[in-house]
Amino acid sequence: MRNIPGFISLPLALIAPAVIVNAAHAEDYLSIAQAQKVLFPNASIFLESAIHLSDEQRAQIKKIAGVRQRNPIQQNWRAEQDGKLLGYFLVDDVIGKHEFISYAAAISPDGKVIGIEILSYRETHGGQIRKPEWRQYFSGKTLNDKFKLNKDIPNISGATLSCRNVTDGVKRLLAIHKIALTQA
Amino acid sequence: MRKTLIVTLLSSLLTLPAHADENLFGYIKGAEVLPDGALEFYQVVTQRSDKGVGKYTAYNTETELEYGVSDRFTIKGELKGQAIDTSGLLIDAYMPGDEKYGLKFQGVEIAGKYNFLSPALDDFGLSVTTGLDYLVLDPHSGRDKDTVSIDLELELQKYFMEGQLIWAANFGTEATRAKRKPIDNLPEDFEWPTGMEVEIEFWAGTGLSYRFVPNWFIGVETLYETEYETEVAMERQSLFAGPSLHYGGADYWFTLTYFDQISGGGEGFDGQPDGLHLIEKTEQEIRFKLGLNF
Repeated sequence: MRNIPGFISLPLALIAPAVIVNAAHAEDYLSIAQAQKVLFPNASIFLESAIHLSDEQRAQIKKIAGVRQRNPIQQNWRAEQDGKLLGYFLVDDVIGKHEFISYAAAISPDGKVIGIEILSYRETHGGQIRKPEWRQYFSGKTLNDKFKLNKDIPNISGATLSCRNVTDGVKRLLAIHKIALTQA
Repeated sequence: MRKTLIVTLLSSLLTLPAHADENLFGYIKGAEVLPDGALEFYQVVTQRSDKGVGKYTAYNTETELEYGVSDRFTIKGELKGQAIDTSGLLIDAYMPGDEKYGLKFQGVEIAGKYNFLSPALDDFGLSVTTGLDYLVLDPHSGRDKDTVSIDLELELQKYFMEGQLIWAANFGTEATRAKRKPIDNLPEDFEWPTGMEVEIEFWAGTGLSYRFVPNWFIGVETLYETEYETEVAMERQSLFAGPSLHYGGADYWFTLTYFDQISGGGEGFDGQPDGLHLIEKTEQEIRFKLGLNF
């Protein structure tokens, strides 16, 4: 391969600093603490723990959710009010078109989605993903419900991969709740 | 001063609050289309170099706007430019002698892409693109030649590993009518047909791209092309392959591809390396694409 010609090296030299600038422009909407307040406004304490998922548990999760559990460790918080369990707060990353999408899900003790919040979203299209109008479709969902994108959960044009991976991700978190949290 | 101005202008462009769709590959196209109302700007520069004999370097530019008419249909308009520098290369009926010029207007293209299946929604993506080209410069000799082409291409795409690994494939055909302009002072006994030529081209290609860290994709792609022409039946066939590096962010994307001719055949000329087609192709190409969405 020959030397990189000028018409390529010049744009690369221009783009490199822009990449750094771009990284600094990442959109973080909510911190974990802020999302906890939104999803469990009545909680007085959040008890953090990490579940170490065995290979067998990950296989079960994939069987239930239809997608792999990439990380063997799942952070979660027990949301409690005066010693009473209100539910579980889980933070997850799924693949967006360019970067990971971070979101949080609140799941009731009986395995029902209380709500989800988008913590960071850095994609080209699909900013509507963080709007309540879209996120509301997850509320009340259980593993007995269907999670078909564009049928049970509306698709957002230009952000189909992001919508699909968040949708599959919420179902996977419900599977984690069933496999590892309710039996902890 | 001029260089500083260019750098400033391009830097300003890069800091616009743009949005981007993306081409993961230099040559293979994916099946996705722009969403309704989205507008995207592309700048593509391709360097084609080395015919094994003499000196040959050509640059082709494509300056393009794409617009999402609906969530399934995208249209584009494109201006093409060409620069060439060739010497010491004489190929009867194809390369009439030395030629050198800077960037000149080469032609225009309009195209429409319709998406039948979305790769993220339907598990398997399928789109069809049809386009119309008009060129005034021959991409090979660099000489004046009026060319009208119509093409049709199928684009297939599949996501694996939740989108971390992407496969795409293309199958296409192009029909061309072309007429060269006469040239004065041709070498003795040199043939330079100026009658109407009709050609049909077929191609098939595939690529695989893997996101190794957020925003960055490494890929490999390959493209087989063959062309049939009225005079000589199969005029050429070639297989190119090479790596691609792609960056995709919320504001813009770029792709750099090195494409090497692995094998080729068809018409040849004295002195050329064996096993390659070097009349209408070169030994290697380097393509850089930049995309901005508004």
